[in-house]
Amino acid sequence: MTDHSIELTVNGVARSGAAEPRTTLADFLREELTLTGTHLGCEHGVCGACTVLVDGEPVRSCLMLAVQARGTEVTTVEGLADGATLHPLQQAFMESFAFQCGFCTPGFVMSTLALLRDEPDADEARIREELSGNLCRCTGYQSIVEGVLLAAQRAREEGAVL
Amino acid sequence: MSQAVGARSVGARVLRSEDPRILTGRGRYIDDFTFPGMLHAAFLRSTVPHGRLLSIDVSEARALPGVVAVYTGEDMARLSTICTPGGTIGMNAMPGIKCPSFYSLCTDKVRYVGDPIAMVIAESRAIAEDAFELIVEDIEMLDPVVTYADALAADAPLLFEEYDDNVAMTGEMTIGDIDAVFAKADRVINATVNVHRHQPVPMETRGSIASWDAAEEKLTFYTATQSPHMIRLLMAPQLGIGMESIRTISEDVGGGFGLKNGLFREDVALAVASRDLGRPVKWIEDRIEHLATGGQAREEMAEMEIAVDADGVLLGVRMNARLNSGAYPWDPFPGAMMVGTLSALFQGPTKLEAIAATSTAVFSNKATYVSYRGPWATADFLRERVLDIVARELGLDPLDVRRRNYVHLGEEPLAMLTGQPFTGVTTQESIEQAARIVGWDDFKEIQRAAREEGRYLGLGMASYLEAAPGPKNHATGQSAAGMLGNETSHVSVEPDGSITIITQQHPHGQSHQTTLAQVASDELGVPFDRITVKYGDTDITPFALVSTGGSRAATMANGSVLHASRTLREKILAIASELLEADPRDLEITDSTVNVVGTPSISVSLAEIARVVAEEPDRIPEGVDRELTASHEYDGGEGGWSGGTHCCFVEIDVETGMVEIPRYVVVEDCGLPVNPAIVEGQVRGGVAQAIGAVLLESSAYSDEGQFLASTFMDYLLPTTTTVPNFEIHHLESVLTDPDVNFRGVGEGGMIVAPAAIVSAIENALEPFGVKVREQHLPPARILELIGAIPTE
Amino acid sequence: MPRFDYNAPSTLDEVLALLTEHGDEGKVLAGGQSLIPLLSMRLARPTQVVDINGVAGLDSIGVEGDTITFGATVRERQAERSAVVADRLPLLAEALPYIGHAAIRTRGTIGGTVAHSDASAEIPCVVAALDGEVLVRSTRGDRVIAATDFFQGHFTTAMDDDECLIEVRVPAQDPAAGCAFREVARRHGDFALVGVATTLTLGGDGRIAESRIALMGMADVPYRARAAEAALVGAEPTLDTFTAAAETAVADLSPASDVHGSAAYRSQLARVTVRRALTAAGARAHGESA
Repeated sequence: MTDHSIELTVNGVARSGAAEPRTTLADFLREELTLTGTHLGCEHGVCGACTVLVDGEPVRSCLMLAVQARGTEVTTVEGLADGATLHPLQQAFMESFAFQCGFCTPGFVMSTLALLRDEPDADEARIREELSGNLCRCTGYQSIVEGVLLAAQRAREEGAVL
Repeated sequence: MSQAVGARSVGARVLRSEDPRILTGRGRYIDDFTFPGMLHAAFLRSTVPHGRLLSIDVSEARALPGVVAVYTGEDMARLSTICTPGGTIGMNAMPGIKCPSFYSLCTDKVRYVGDPIAMVIAESRAIAEDAFELIVEDIEMLDPVVTYADALAADAPLLFEEYDDNVAMTGEMTIGDIDAVFAKADRVINATVNVHRHQPVPMETRGSIASWDAAEEKLTFYTATQSPHMIRLLMAPQLGIGMESIRTISEDVGGGFGLKNGLFREDVALAVASRDLGRPVKWIEDRIEHLATGGQAREEMAEMEIAVDADGVLLGVRMNARLNSGAYPWDPFPGAMMVGTLSALFQGPTKLEAIAATSTAVFSNKATYVSYRGPWATADFLRERVLDIVARELGLDPLDVRRRNYVHLGEEPLAMLTGQPFTGVTTQESIEQAARIVGWDDFKEIQRAAREEGRYLGLGMASYLEAAPGPKNHATGQSAAGMLGNETSHVSVEPDGSITIITQQHPHGQSHQTTLAQVASDELGVPFDRITVKYGDTDITPFALVSTGGSRAATMANGSVLHASRTLREKILAIASELLEADPRDLEITDSTVNVVGTPSISVSLAEIARVVAEEPDRIPEGVDRELTASHEYDGGEGGWSGGTHCCFVEIDVETGMVEIPRYVVVEDCGLPVNPAIVEGQVRGGVAQAIGAVLLESSAYSDEGQFLASTFMDYLLPTTTTVPNFEIHHLESVLTDPDVNFRGVGEGGMIVAPAAIVSAIENALEPFGVKVREQHLPPARILELIGAIPTE
Repeated sequence: MPRFDYNAPSTLDEVLALLTEHGDEGKVLAGGQSLIPLLSMRLARPTQVVDINGVAGLDSIGVEGDTITFGATVRERQAERSAVVADRLPLLAEALPYIGHAAIRTRGTIGGTVAHSDASAEIPCVVAALDGEVLVRSTRGDRVIAATDFFQGHFTTAMDDDECLIEVRVPAQDPAAGCAFREVARRHGDFALVGVATTLTLGGDGRIAESRIALMGMADVPYRARAAEAALVGAEPTLDTFTAAAETAVADLSPASDVHGSAAYRSQLARVTVRRALTAAGARAHGESA
């Protein structure tokens, strides 16, 4: 099984690497590109910890082969903050004490970003419905949902750009 | 003592220091580490629940390009010392317990689906798994032992043939005059209550990197653990080296819930391989392995005879308790030892007069029983179920039954049957507050009206006490710190005037980097963001068997840091008084600066003090301690109980069996919270796991011992749509200690919530005459209970 | 995952040539949301993976007369956002959000789900309910296979190893008909325990003129409850009628037992869900919202 060369854009930067076809996008990001922010919680597409954006849409990176990401624009959790300044969504999550151990966090951040960009006016019921594809074992979810609502409110009322 | 001016940190919702790195993906979890020359391990595991491993041929696997080595049990026997779980800390000598010895890979038998029979070390995990197909094992299947009945049958196949049976532990306990109590009882009620097997399931699976340095003959073991020192303590004898030759490093950990508080066979095998090969070796468990082999819990039951008086007051209980501890006992806390807790902790906040129990733990062809958030939770489940059962049998309101049964502060009995004093217990206050908040008395009418519309609503209640850490026992002298011992922390002033705390805790979601800094901030007058908390490297942290577990940190860690900080403050002020020529009693510390009270211009910064100590020590007279660091070994002070009452509302669709939880109320007493946001998070997380246990989660095995829940499609965790928003009310506490009144909440939610939820479900299904004597109530089971479908 | 060779052809001819060459060692990769987990768990071991995502012309939703066509690589998310689907196939529109979560639907394809033929999946159930057909192609030529013939068993279709699914074709729904998709799962987004896709057309006399009932999770293929459908014709759209139809629909089925529920449980769920779906469809046929 020979390595295929893969060129893509990650967090706005042109990146390249090599991977066997059987390497998932998640493993490619983590190992070849050393972007370990994307986590693996199940490798069968249920827990959502591996969620990234591919061409702006949410994708389970454990359910995509790295070779399939050639030529795409991938956004990972590492691509959101501006230096030391947190992205407004990250800031909202911090202020709502959204997370505890942090393992599920990157997946939630990326899934939430996709959700709020698609449905900026999502109410709590919609938020819970859409985020039911991300598992957290620590928080009982309430603080995460509060963070999402806070971020959405700031986008609406203060012009925060998500 | 002068107080720092400005807002206090303790008690405030201070934002977490952990969050910037966690939210930006810069956490460092075990799988994020790589080292030059690192190899990858994968474990070939038995698909047979019980069998004799007749032979295993790994020769072809060894020859696969990219494979560096393949180890079997035979290699482990050659390269390591056999493990007797619990042996390092004497658990294997507990009366009535059996702790068989075994190697990290199977040598002669396989004892559960997932039992590791070979370890492949390769250039990548994928290649290691490719090699599995080239390994040929010959396993003679034996009859499986799955249930209690299987294990205890006279002709049961023996898991460990060095024993005569499959009993992992037996015990007996009698406290009080049980016969007299039963003789005077107005009623004796029989009930058998069963809790199903389920498991902690952190979002991060297990994982380690073993790195043997051949030159130094030392092992550096990187791992996801809750207790770094435990790892080296337990690992050393199996490698035939001293503990001083092992350093454990653990940074961010993605959840543990008790599961990462042990040494696993895979960890030992990994260390052996690293030493043998002279290279770092990494193993990261995948989710299927984790669900099947990481560790399971809670499979316990009790047959009970309950003696009550005509008012529903529990007088005494006779109990036959059982626990299914799986195949291999856990190191260092064999699961079997938990069976005694069903009786020892049954009483809770009640006035029980006597208890007599026989306890039996069994071996079976299942995964290892591990500690799971509140490992004694079944005792509370039994008691709360019993209170509801008694209420139903006697036609009484369950709230009234609780009013009659729970102790009143200051009234007899003042201590539990097991001797622990009921110091500061607020159970009565918590049930009254909870009942008021949920409108307990109005619910019957709401429920009746709903039934007329074909809707089935239910309301349940449960209360608990948790030894977090538990009170000091002045009668016996037993400290609040108890069995797990005192807690040490070190607090120091750095050259730049910032503060470093070194803790023996190992947070994996508990936010100690934030809470400990809050405590130190108030004590030292240093801003929160100038305080760093270090943990996780055994080269610098104080020794502890269990670093984080048992809901002790709130009291033990905060108390240790509080007292260490006070000692450090005194040292700082003693030096400052020399430099400022002022009496220490006239000095205060604000914003990292010591100044004379009322005269801020007469001041010296902590950074300046540190500089003087380092560069001009002669300015400080003999006799004044120049060491800008302090340690404190804390015994828990007066300690105290945590506890409270939970109330759960349910609505049940009796056609589909689906249960919704529209409202959940918590009234909790955990003393003074250091950070209320953190406290709330812990409570919610625990209750969410309880919702999972009751409605979704089951570590199910077939009758033949096949594991049925090895993916997240079958082992179902609660999601955003299964967990409601929680109403958390904080009860006014009884302060027990002059300085440290923070008490633990880490486990409380998971301990009491299953009973509250089950209570609500039983309440909703009363019209069908349903009696719930179990904890797992998925939709199919609901329909079986109401008779809509036959019971399988 | 096991090793495999990866091919990403840009033309359909290349795809078909590869499938012809490799036969049962080849596997088409479209969305990957079903195939990749199987590969990760080493339950599928093709030696050749043929990725069709790069083939032009397979990713459109089209309208040909009264038929809505879905190219093989049309994403579920794309169908979810399609005005054509919302307008002409409301049953499919109602079913799509039940498929996993947004991240799954971003990649998952209509064609791939149909080709995967999971009897518990939403899209095969809807396609069966609406009597859709599947266009498959090989180097030997084209075949159009009706849904009833296409789905043959658990993860088994009428396709040969050298054939590739090109298009799924679904007749547009009668705008006057009411329809409803209802699913019961352990949690939102989970695989269904049981699901029902139904349409109901009322005659001028207010009685049922036509009905379709397809069940998922109750057999090894999406199951059309034809006896129940027939019995509904001419009946009044009442609760009693729907309850009786639900009984009939489920009567001859032997669903699986597993950790999520016994066969008896699934049958009970199916009865309830068919009744509820028919009730909703009936209300919509009257022009009410349900």
